[in-house]
Amino acid sequence: MQDGKAGFGLPRAEPRGIRLAPSGVEGDSAIRVTLVGVMAAVPCVALAAMSAWWGAGGWFGRGLWPPDQVTLAEAIATRNNAEALRLITLGANPNQPSRVRDGLLTSGYDVVIMPVEAAVGAQRADSLRMLLANGAAVDDRELRVLRCYERTRRDSGVREILDMRAAGLSDEARSAKAEPPDCSGVRLPVDRVE
Amino acid sequence: MRPPILAFLLAALITLPLADSVFRIPIQVSDSLEAIVIATKYSSFWPLLTDSVRFSTTTFRPMRYEQTRWLLQTAAATGLTYNSVFRAVHVALMLLLVLLFLLAIRVRRWIDVAAFTVAFPALIGIHTFVAMLQEAYPVNHFAEVGVCALAVVVLSQQRARWFFPIVVCALLAFALSVVESGAMVWVVAICCAAAGMRGMTRSSAIAATLLLGAYLLARHALEISSPGIGGHGSGFGGTFYSPEELKQRFGAHPLGFIAYNVAGGLASLLFSEPRQGMYSLVIAWKTGAPHPVLLINLASSLATTALMVWYGVTHLRGGRAAWSDSDRLFVAACAVMIVNAALNAAYIKDEIMSVGGLFYAVAAYVAVRALLETIPRRGVVASALIALLLMADAGLWAFRAAGVHYVLRYDAFKTRNDWVEVLRPDKRDDWPTDPQELAITRRIRNEVVLRRVASPSFMPRWGDRYWVE
Repeated sequence: MQDGKAGFGLPRAEPRGIRLAPSGVEGDSAIRVTLVGVMAAVPCVALAAMSAWWGAGGWFGRGLWPPDQVTLAEAIATRNNAEALRLITLGANPNQPSRVRDGLLTSGYDVVIMPVEAAVGAQRADSLRMLLANGAAVDDRELRVLRCYERTRRDSGVREILDMRAAGLSDEARSAKAEPPDCSGVRLPVDRVE
Repeated sequence: MRPPILAFLLAALITLPLADSVFRIPIQVSDSLEAIVIATKYSSFWPLLTDSVRFSTTTFRPMRYEQTRWLLQTAAATGLTYNSVFRAVHVALMLLLVLLFLLAIRVRRWIDVAAFTVAFPALIGIHTFVAMLQEAYPVNHFAEVGVCALAVVVLSQQRARWFFPIVVCALLAFALSVVESGAMVWVVAICCAAAGMRGMTRSSAIAATLLLGAYLLARHALEISSPGIGGHGSGFGGTFYSPEELKQRFGAHPLGFIAYNVAGGLASLLFSEPRQGMYSLVIAWKTGAPHPVLLINLASSLATTALMVWYGVTHLRGGRAAWSDSDRLFVAACAVMIVNAALNAAYIKDEIMSVGGLFYAVAAYVAVRALLETIPRRGVVASALIALLLMADAGLWAFRAAGVHYVLRYDAFKTRNDWVEVLRPDKRDDWPTDPQELAITRRIRNEVVLRRVASPSFMPRWGDRYWVE
């Protein structure tokens, strides 16, 4: 704090030009002070410029890391249960397959899969439970596919839900055991279709 | 353009997008929903105030519920969503903090602007500031305490006026009524008085002390205790312990653990280590792979703390009578940091140190400016080294500050998904039976679910390594 009578930090500024050196300092010393000050300020000015860019982007475009447009299966694959619930609330069918872009569940290609399959692929028991509670149906054929897929994407929570379904037990029957699935001839949801 | 205007402009450019990131975080389930539900059950001030005294045996936060009730009424009166109203208050508090920081450091010369450009990223980038922005109460009480604390510093820099004791007491009373950390406002007042700041007279300090005494007496009379060891989980060494584990491990002989926490609280401000009581360095030592975020935080904090040590050694030798206004501000800021650490006695939490974090940036500003003022007396090589040091330090802090957006996006994502577990269709037995409670819970849940936020899956993955601890 510079000693003085300033009120609430908004006192008179220096009269002219940008001069960092204290009064009485001239020549090379003054230039040095200015150079050091300007160098120290570079990161903050860069941050301010980037922030301005992000802010302007928010107003006029997508801005910094905006919410992405995703399908229901993609929302599940990215562990975004809230977005999945929003899509279901807005009319998305939890029993309809949808595209999942390359890099989320697969490497090098997109897939079109059921949301429940995406939950198994993402190893998310909570997502699977949410889908089942919000209208997703799993028939015997689909259950076999899911259980086989789980064998390649191991998750104890997902397995518990699927095994209970296979054993025909309620979710509360946590000690349920089901026979291991027969996975011969089963095509997994993320298998590449040539 | 004048120096204060440029500083304000830089602060605004950095802060406004940050306000957007803060606004995107939905109302949290933890710590928020319960207070909102309680507040909906009261239609007037006094019944809620008197009942709130009995809500907890370890906390006394009457204004927490009153503010929540007011904001619910505001939402009803304006037709705005609950999320808009509550998050707008969070944003307003953050803007106030930045404004008060600017007033506290009093930029007036170009050299001040240069010091500001190092200190401001430190203010935003320090982990305690992010923790404060992430605060989960429906109204951000730690930010409120920060605002009150900085307001006391701003007052302390003015010529003393007759009404200052009243304002200081009002700020303290308000801060104490929202969260126990409000006692930091008293700490700030006492530290400013002890440092000899002109606006903090003896009468203000005495009035604030009497008020704090009355508050403690009231707590005692109401049989409200403070949470001891085991009231909250905390780290020790490289491990985080649950409340039960802490009680079992340290409950019989707590002194060592208390000393560890207090020292750790201060160290977390000065070196960004430990965090929540855990030393990531210990973990890195064991695994042999230090996380980049650890190195960035450590380097930036070490450099800034070293500057502060340099300032203390070179400027405070003369004794209190010889101190300049800057020296007094620096001493007050350092004292606040030290005392703040004592509040971590039972457990370490970044939010508890949030006021200390604000004063860390204030002290950094004073130290950086003093270093810049020495340049005319130094040679070319020394000046170049100082320029590189400041640029590197400011660069690291600016990088940390940029990461706040990333962390807040993560928080928004997590918070929004927490609401999916509320009012689960397959768990109808767990739903509230009170229709009013059910209605407000459902409304907030619907608001939150419909409010889209970014998914970390579509954000740059390298951000995890450099910004997420």
